[in-house]
Amino acid sequence: MPEHLAVLDCAGNERYVLPSGLTVLVRPMPGYAAAHAIVAAKFGSIDVHFRLGEQELTLPAGVAHYLEHKMFEDQEGDAFAKFARTGANANAFTSFDRTCYYFSATSAVDESLDVLLGMLTHPYFTDETVAKEQGIIAQEIKMYEDSPDWRLVTELCQCLYHGHPIRSDIAGTCESIARITPAMLYDCCKAFYAPSNLVLAAAGNLTARQVLDACARAGLDKPAAAPAAQRICDDEPMTLVRTEKTLRMAVAKPCFGIGYKEVPLAPGDGRTEALYDLILCCLCGGMSTLYRRLYDEGLVNPGFGGEVLRVDGCCCILFTGESDQPDTVRQMLLEEIERIRAEGVDREVFTLCKNEKYGQLVENLENVEDAASQMADFALLGQTVPQQVEMLAGLTADDADAALQAILQPDRAAYVKILPDGAETEE
Amino acid sequence: MERKQLAPGVHLSWDPAEKLNRCRISIHFTFPIRRESATAHALLPLVMERGYAGCPDMTGLTKKLARLYGADLTVDGRPMGANRNVCISVTGIKDRFALAGEDLCAAYTELALGVAFHPCIADGGFDPEAVAIEKQMLRQSLEDELNDKRLYCMRQTARLFFGDSPMGIRQEGCLDELDAVTGADLAAAYFEMLRTASIELMVLGCTPAETDRVVRAFLAELAAIRRQPVPLAPFGAMPRQTPVHRTEHFDMVQAKLCMAFTLGQPMDLADMAACRLAMALYGGSVTSRLFLHVRERDHLCYYCSSSFQSFTGSMTVSSGIEPGNAARAEEAILEELAALCTGPITTQELEDCRRGLIAGLEGIEDSLGGIESWYGMEIIRGGAITTPAQARADLAAVTEEQVRAVLRRFSLSVSYLLTRKEGPYA
Repeated sequence: MPEHLAVLDCAGNERYVLPSGLTVLVRPMPGYAAAHAIVAAKFGSIDVHFRLGEQELTLPAGVAHYLEHKMFEDQEGDAFAKFARTGANANAFTSFDRTCYYFSATSAVDESLDVLLGMLTHPYFTDETVAKEQGIIAQEIKMYEDSPDWRLVTELCQCLYHGHPIRSDIAGTCESIARITPAMLYDCCKAFYAPSNLVLAAAGNLTARQVLDACARAGLDKPAAAPAAQRICDDEPMTLVRTEKTLRMAVAKPCFGIGYKEVPLAPGDGRTEALYDLILCCLCGGMSTLYRRLYDEGLVNPGFGGEVLRVDGCCCILFTGESDQPDTVRQMLLEEIERIRAEGVDREVFTLCKNEKYGQLVENLENVEDAASQMADFALLGQTVPQQVEMLAGLTADDADAALQAILQPDRAAYVKILPDGAETEE
Repeated sequence: MERKQLAPGVHLSWDPAEKLNRCRISIHFTFPIRRESATAHALLPLVMERGYAGCPDMTGLTKKLARLYGADLTVDGRPMGANRNVCISVTGIKDRFALAGEDLCAAYTELALGVAFHPCIADGGFDPEAVAIEKQMLRQSLEDELNDKRLYCMRQTARLFFGDSPMGIRQEGCLDELDAVTGADLAAAYFEMLRTASIELMVLGCTPAETDRVVRAFLAELAAIRRQPVPLAPFGAMPRQTPVHRTEHFDMVQAKLCMAFTLGQPMDLADMAACRLAMALYGGSVTSRLFLHVRERDHLCYYCSSSFQSFTGSMTVSSGIEPGNAARAEEAILEELAALCTGPITTQELEDCRRGLIAGLEGIEDSLGGIESWYGMEIIRGGAITTPAQARADLAAVTEEQVRAVLRRFSLSVSYLLTRKEGPYA
């Protein structure tokens, strides 16, 4: 490896922690027309049980996602309309462990930053505005219910976990969201939208001064109350709820998922997660012997693969795909896991998988959206790009072999199949 | 971006894109599609992507790409009206990021040209084993299209809308023809493409010296081909018709409604800016009528958006709806179109849409994908190439009346609904 890595030249960023507790990361990117800013709140769908002052609160599934929709409204109306005035393209998403709000803009960046920070620091909910969102979110929930890929992940989590909120769909259910009230949403803001629970990352055609000035205009340069919430994590045993489940949907081909429950990773442990990713790459990635056999025999398509799902108190490895013969694929996967557990990962493939991950890091520094998102992701994990590069360089095939002795154990595996249902056509 | 002709029907476009971390070498073949070779052309990209003479093994090729830090090789086929575009591209990090001083650009060049000009053809056909495996993959993907209800609904709408028109020749091929396609058929389709297609070499993110090397290597390959380029099919449009309604029932939770509209006659490129603004205003943005009224105000759809296809003079509205709301949603979608054609359009909504579009155009040159897709489309559309800056100026000049004039030309041809059996629309 050369002494100086060019990747580090474009991976630098300015980092500030404001008196309010807000973490601010800025990467100016000369020559770019657009700027992208993202605010990530450490509040996702798994945050449904916490203590707020004297109160212990248990919220209905889907609150974080519901809140994401409602944060775009204030007394003056809709933040989308304000972004439209600045020409910015804005959106948001909620995952299991975070909620992110972002915009891209090529002009009026200061004004767009004001809209973004304003909507997050001035929540406004009424019975009427909360109620009117239920229809749209119910539609979103139904859309995901029709997605076999999404159903597989949800069903696998329900097989693997007894009580961890990863069992619930990110958007909740039509029944759970009907119980959401303005008071709950205000509690969530108080608990999780305190500045010290947020990261603001911005990249592209802007300067740190612009971003800090916007923070000052939003009052984020002054001390603020620390997050009032303490998450309550119920004990989750390493046993499974069930090991198999079959359901039917209007799909043309059977879909399958094989999930492994793993020991939760410590907060900030990006190394183990990266190592698991590399193991999956060796086990069933495009360079693996297993993938080639499955592909050549027509048992899977390029959609087959494995992923690590990791949040506080939960870590699992999920393999999903489509196949006419899901049981055969499952059997071949189980045999291959035992083979590489015994023989070790292929050294050449392991090195090449690391090469790919390095290329991905470089790619993610290229455009303003990825650059800002990557900064926010790493900040939530307590890491930086240089640390990621160094960590990746330090991972070895021996590390993978050692990890394989503990993970992907057959007694912690669940299997879910979705089989096709009938369909009718009429003129 | 600069462009010059290298040979009849062959052009080079290049942009050093110095600020970007990656470079991209792509070779576009564009040619009129014929019904009888459509399934072969659906299969061809899959087989070409598996390997080439210099690296015939699929896993070996994947390893080769991984050695190049996860460079991306794609062979894509996509419809452009009655033409087909096959694009072979290699995208990877620039040389300065290589950890061992490798000449990555040279490796990308060898890969892109190898896949484009030296596929695994022996004895007049592609490797039978590779063809058999990829036929199975294509078969699965054709059988699986129902798994994505939104895509399935849009494809069914297009099939009904275009019927037997060359503009409707299936990009994805036909299931009932797949078994009969042979390695020789694929080779014939490939050689016909080499001989007759308009070819565009696009080199993005490379230095002038690297670009020069790519061009020299490309011209050496081209010299070995006896070229007979054919003209591309012009823009088309389906004739107006009495709207056809079709319903299909499945065990599903959210219904999907897709509506296809025609301009009735081919699009005039001079209307491009007005079309863009019309789409943003009707259903192509979060400040559009379909988003703000049908989704946000009336809560009739979870998503509801419109898109315009210049090659076919058509517009598609796609929505996800409560099964019981299907009739109301269709009515609302048509009412919003009528309201824009005849009712008031506020300056604010028009300017919000214009501002959003202009911002999007300003950011095009911030990514390789943005540069390639913008100029690629401009080149295939024919005529003078409009830069993003010119397109912004054109947009700035579009009037409300021009927007109305475009929207007034659309008439509904097909409305396709996927819904639950017990829905009242059934």
